[in-house]
Amino acid sequence: MKAFILLFFISLPLCAAMNHGGMIMDETGMIMNHNPDILPKDCPKISKEVDLTIRAGHKFTKGFEGKMFTYDKRDWQAPGCARVNVTFINEDDIRHQFMIHGLPGYMYPKGMFTIEIYGKGQKTASFIVPSRDYTYYIHCEVSQHTEKGMKAQLKVGKGSGDLDSILGLTSALTPDIYPINNTQITWISMLISFVLGVGFILYLGRLLRIKLEQ
Amino acid sequence: MPHKRLYYQLIPVVFSLIALAIWQQPDFFQRAAGVNLPKGINPEFKQVLKIDKPCVDLHPEWRLAQNIDGVKISESRLCEPDNPYDVAAFVLGMNHISMPTLMSTNIAEDALIKSDDLDGDGDPDIIHIKLEVLELNGATPDSPNVFPQYEIAPGIMPGMWAFSPKLRGMSVKNFRSQKPNAILRAPSPVIRVEQGDKVYITLENTHYFPHTIHFHGVDHAFKTSKGGDNDGVPITGEKAVMPGKTRTYELQPRHAGTMLYHCHVQTDKHLMMGLAGMFVVEENRPNNWVQTFNVGAGHVRYSSAAIKEKYQREYDLHYQSIDKNLAKTIQESNDIRQISKNMHRVYNMSASNENYFLLNGHSFPYTLRDALIIAKPDENIKLRIANTQHSSIAVHIHGHKATITDYDGVEQNPIAQITRDVFHLAAAQRLDLNLQTTNDGLHSYGEGVWLFHDHVETAVANDGMSPGGNIALMVYENMLSATGLPNVRPDALDDFFSNRYYAKKHALWGKKEAGTFPPNTLHLILFALLVGAIVGLIFFIFRGLLRAD
Repeated sequence: MKAFILLFFISLPLCAAMNHGGMIMDETGMIMNHNPDILPKDCPKISKEVDLTIRAGHKFTKGFEGKMFTYDKRDWQAPGCARVNVTFINEDDIRHQFMIHGLPGYMYPKGMFTIEIYGKGQKTASFIVPSRDYTYYIHCEVSQHTEKGMKAQLKVGKGSGDLDSILGLTSALTPDIYPINNTQITWISMLISFVLGVGFILYLGRLLRIKLEQ
Repeated sequence: MPHKRLYYQLIPVVFSLIALAIWQQPDFFQRAAGVNLPKGINPEFKQVLKIDKPCVDLHPEWRLAQNIDGVKISESRLCEPDNPYDVAAFVLGMNHISMPTLMSTNIAEDALIKSDDLDGDGDPDIIHIKLEVLELNGATPDSPNVFPQYEIAPGIMPGMWAFSPKLRGMSVKNFRSQKPNAILRAPSPVIRVEQGDKVYITLENTHYFPHTIHFHGVDHAFKTSKGGDNDGVPITGEKAVMPGKTRTYELQPRHAGTMLYHCHVQTDKHLMMGLAGMFVVEENRPNNWVQTFNVGAGHVRYSSAAIKEKYQREYDLHYQSIDKNLAKTIQESNDIRQISKNMHRVYNMSASNENYFLLNGHSFPYTLRDALIIAKPDENIKLRIANTQHSSIAVHIHGHKATITDYDGVEQNPIAQITRDVFHLAAAQRLDLNLQTTNDGLHSYGEGVWLFHDHVETAVANDGMSPGGNIALMVYENMLSATGLPNVRPDALDDFFSNRYYAKKHALWGKKEAGTFPPNTLHLILFALLVGAIVGLIFFIFRGLLRAD
């Protein structure tokens, strides 16, 4: 009897993890549009298995002062028609997402594939990319996480260029403005340069006049 | 070389010309009108003119009274009613709802867990709540605009924060939208628990600044059972909850009433940014499942057992204000060091102003969409009012006198209760009112579309543009349209739903504003020629004098 009760409780999370409308959900998180087997129209077969382990958390912003949350790596590659098996590891105690946009809408509703983890933990799921060269947008949509560092890209094939505002890779589309630390030396050197400039022109004028007088 | 005398003789000519120029000086920037006044014009407006529908009516099916997973949710005839699936989830807890209900919400499965009927009276007594911190209208490095775009009134998007139940999935309305979905909004949600419940509230700090929760007026021990911080004040307890970290607070409130909760880190700023909400402790009753969150405050679609005994309807009214200069600090940078400096050190709260005034997260005219009090004759309506502004409010409901039943969550002796028509609340105070709709010439003057608003007149405008602020309406059901808007004069609201009106680029009452005169070009040319002649002459004289013998 005890064993039965134990089994019942162990199986609870499995019962809870049900698949609904492309979503696999339980109390630790959710996976949306998990697709390990349906091939995009333009892919006759899986070209390659690509296993990505992506970590998310505050600690990965080390070295990027002024940001708060990010992934351990923000530039990922896969060949066209690859099956991408994402192991998403959340190292914070709060919610994070691995949300990728731009996948074909006929296979992935809204063109999205998402792994969301409600706290520390990990989940693995797969999606199959089409053959075209394209750069896919990856981010975490928890309020202000994209904006404060949690943005990445997946380049399939040669990709289609880099996305903006990716930490350590590309600059922001609307960059922040910082003051310039001018000192007295800046102003003195500017003043000296100015005087030299004037002097140079006057000197040239003088040479010209002498030449004309000759 | 001519003689110097020639040049000296020219000097009086210069003075005469100067005198002539002064005498014949044209009007450069303005001039008095003669008989003919300038024509009227419309103010110049550079943005694209955008006029919203008064009610977008996205979810008419949400208005109906309905039974979801056994929860009887009352009708809500507002233009923007609360999502009934959210309400069902908040009544039952995420652990008791069906999968279709869960799929119709944007709430994480561990956001609200209700369990253990400890006193055996038919309702759960252990409540686990998880709160996140969300930002509205914040900066983004990918656009000069803010994200997500939460308008408190047409075209007005101040930076704000709010606590929210732990969410999941997409934060925007739909794939192409920049607008947050219905649950990501201001103010911080009303939290409701039952007297005696063991409540565990976990702050999961998803934000980029440290925060805490302080329970204002809610019965709680100074420390948790494990000795941790339970008052949320970093000066007296533990350090603030850092970004990415969590902390659980424990409550078992013995006293029922309308209370508050708010962040206690850099409280002056963080509270005004919106990290403050109502906390309601409902009286203990058998089989009393309470609606743990009222997102966006306003109409309570599932009232507690004790409220249903005395009242036909219940509304939570959360008054809040914003200083536009404080709100701006989160919109100007994506470097949290710069934001922190601009908010906490450059911005000076002692030099603050309140520019925007919100009722339940919106300012007029958007209050018409979700902050109406809807009534029928001969009802008792429970109003819980909280003031999280810096300034006091003086709420007045046209056509009615209501009775103050509770001050700061403490019942007033019934024989000493006061019935009046202006309700004063200083900062952080709460009042519970019984609004009776009996047409007796005292409590109500009958059915109508009655304005209700703070009578401190700075608060009935959006950054000084009136009408705005926390103006809302009390509407009797027979004067309410199918889309939840009041039956008023057809053109009564037209102006206010354009982005031009609150940008102060709309002349009032359909009139044009005074135009300008054209410049008198010929006069200006003649004057310029004269001035040129004077300068040339002066130059001629100087050069001549220098070169003359």
